[in-house]
Amino acid sequence: MADSACRALRDGVLAGEHAPSLMISDSMHTTAGLSVFNYFLRSLVSNISSARAQAKGLVVVAFDRSPDFYVKLLARAGLDTYSHSWFQVLDCYTDPLGWQKEILDNVKSDIQETSEISKEHISHAGFTVCRDVGNMESLMSVILTSGKGAIGSQGKGRFSVAIDLVSIMVRHLSLPLVANLINNLRCHDEISSLMWLVHSDLHEPRIVTALEYLSSMVAVLEPIAPLSAASLKLKGDPDKLAALEGNLKKGKLRLRVKRRNGRVREHIEEFTLEQADVKFSAISHGKFAVSGSSNLPQVQFNLQLTEKEREDRARVILPFEHQGNGKELQIYDGRKGRSAWRASPVSDSHPVNTDPNFNAFDASKESGRGEIHYIRDSDDEALDSDEDPDDDLDI
Amino acid sequence: MASRSGSFVRNLAPTVHVQAVGAKLGPNGVSLVSTGFADLDKVLGGGIPVGGILMIMEDIEAPHHLLLLRYFMAQGLVHDQPLLYASPLTSPQAFLGTLPGVVQAKDDKSEIEGSPKHTKGENLRIAWQYRKYFNENQSIETHKFQQPELAPFSRTAKSSSFGGGLTGNKYEFCSNFDLRKPMERSLLNAINVECVNLQAISDLSVFHERCTSFLSKLSRAQGGISQIGRIAIQSFCAPQCRHSNLDWEMLSFLKSLRAVLRVSNAVAMITFPSSFLTPLFCTRWQHLADIVLSVKAIPDEDKELASLLTDYQDMVGFVHVHKMACINTQVPTILEANTYSLKLLHKRIVVLERLNQAPVDASSGESYGTVAAAPLCSRSANGSVLDF
Repeated sequence: MADSACRALRDGVLAGEHAPSLMISDSMHTTAGLSVFNYFLRSLVSNISSARAQAKGLVVVAFDRSPDFYVKLLARAGLDTYSHSWFQVLDCYTDPLGWQKEILDNVKSDIQETSEISKEHISHAGFTVCRDVGNMESLMSVILTSGKGAIGSQGKGRFSVAIDLVSIMVRHLSLPLVANLINNLRCHDEISSLMWLVHSDLHEPRIVTALEYLSSMVAVLEPIAPLSAASLKLKGDPDKLAALEGNLKKGKLRLRVKRRNGRVREHIEEFTLEQADVKFSAISHGKFAVSGSSNLPQVQFNLQLTEKEREDRARVILPFEHQGNGKELQIYDGRKGRSAWRASPVSDSHPVNTDPNFNAFDASKESGRGEIHYIRDSDDEALDSDEDPDDDLDI
Repeated sequence: MASRSGSFVRNLAPTVHVQAVGAKLGPNGVSLVSTGFADLDKVLGGGIPVGGILMIMEDIEAPHHLLLLRYFMAQGLVHDQPLLYASPLTSPQAFLGTLPGVVQAKDDKSEIEGSPKHTKGENLRIAWQYRKYFNENQSIETHKFQQPELAPFSRTAKSSSFGGGLTGNKYEFCSNFDLRKPMERSLLNAINVECVNLQAISDLSVFHERCTSFLSKLSRAQGGISQIGRIAIQSFCAPQCRHSNLDWEMLSFLKSLRAVLRVSNAVAMITFPSSFLTPLFCTRWQHLADIVLSVKAIPDEDKELASLLTDYQDMVGFVHVHKMACINTQVPTILEANTYSLKLLHKRIVVLERLNQAPVDASSGESYGTVAAAPLCSRSANGSVLDF
């Protein structure tokens, strides 16, 4: 459920482990990625502002939208972040490579007048502008400084980081550097949780796999009605149009959570995009896709005996006259009367009955009261006779 | 479960056997070193051949390769073997702190059994008069199939005269580890333990230099009693390492490592997340290794798997054997089963077991055929077991 992911982000990190990281991955077929990202962001902000979360501050690294967008988004949801210092946005949107500053510098040097468009480091509302996105170390340090600013001067708190769009980050930095950055954030002492959005069809599968490797929860958004490219010729086909429209409003969220014991839990939910909000609901129509393929070609039947079965087997009396313990065992041969037989001494406490229909070696009847039925064919003959087939049973 | 060696046993001069702590003679004149995990040793036919590489393909969703690495390194430390550990963690030393400690097993004898044939004889109850014949045969059989002892140390751990400062089971081929018990500090601070941080390495050639210098002390050219070194490389192509997108460099590093290993008394265990490599390179890496395993995560609360397998709740992962070592021989080893389940017992011991099918409920009227056939056929999205 999406709620479990929200809770994981809220609860944050345990000592000695990596911070929980949520990766939201969408594709062209369902463009709800940003809405879902906003949903998780809103829940995290509400948790932080009401002090329910482990994190004391939040840094949003905004690549795709301007910081004002986020302020307004949260304000619409009733969360006032404008004047609070625990909410920081790192503005990597307005001038990621420092080009505007360069141009303005040149303009200044040419025209020799102070420009109205100030290019100071702090944009309005006090958000830091990052102008050097291509440099991993500086980006990391800016994130950490913002985070420290978010926690305030107490010093001992943790903060969460939400990266708007890792797809843009991958554009500026190579994959090892992005992975390094995210990994360092995860291991850092002051980070409580981490979340990011990526458009999976913009990248090679290797990059998406790398990001999955670094995350502890992966939320994949899929369209309700998968449409292939060929079927996108919709001329006059109302069904397909309706399906496409359905894709715009609805989708399927598949959340894979890595648990600490090494097992992977998968939840599938449906979501609907309503006005500026996302509603999650359980899957309405039936088929759960089988998660992954299990390689079980050689499943064998369990031929091992349990302890109880072993004990029972040890207690079974085999139908030989000599059990190897020095005493002779009387075996009922069906000729004498039963009472007479019972009167004769039997060395073992287990009665051995005769019943011609019983299989003498039926080991499945080991229940401690097992009965072995054995009829000797050759009692009429004298012992030690040559024709006695059971000759060697008597020693 | 053990690999079946043929009736031909190569008659080799005893000088081939490496007289070292923790090594035993395996088939075809190859010395074997324990992985630290007794069940895995059995599956691999005794252990890792000296001079060989064991590669583990990780699953990005599960940390089970760390379990196998821990056993491997812990066994090396217990046997006082030099260890080189490389990992992309920021502090590899911290990982050393998670190694399991050795426990004295109460029933030592049962673990140091001979081949299964020996134990089968004891469990079989024979009719009285044949027993005298069987006893004669048994002594011949045990002589033939018994695993060679760790020369020159005695087999029963309790009466070891080489105890020294540590307990007697230091010289067992494969020690019993308890995951809950941390390894002794004295072993961790041994001078022959080196750690390398893969993230900090700017160039793979630097790492290669490090490995070669480590292996040069263990070269096979020097005869006599020597030590067997262990190299453990964790998550070699992890995305946060700078070399992770240099496919050809990584491949040439592995090739040269393998070349140096072949002439040294050392073994290497390399784990890597195989999903990052293109299939082309993944296949090339597997060709370079002697033994290839892969670990897979188990989906949690998967009802189909739960109904198909017994002990589904206890399992934490699957281990699949892709390739077995084939050194000094042309005959490949064929295992009875390639997939094993990894179970954690009481949170302290890990065992590897064959997959057992859960008993089919007789009242439902399904035959064994339909239930068994379902996973063998492609698993359709319907999930209905009876359709095939």
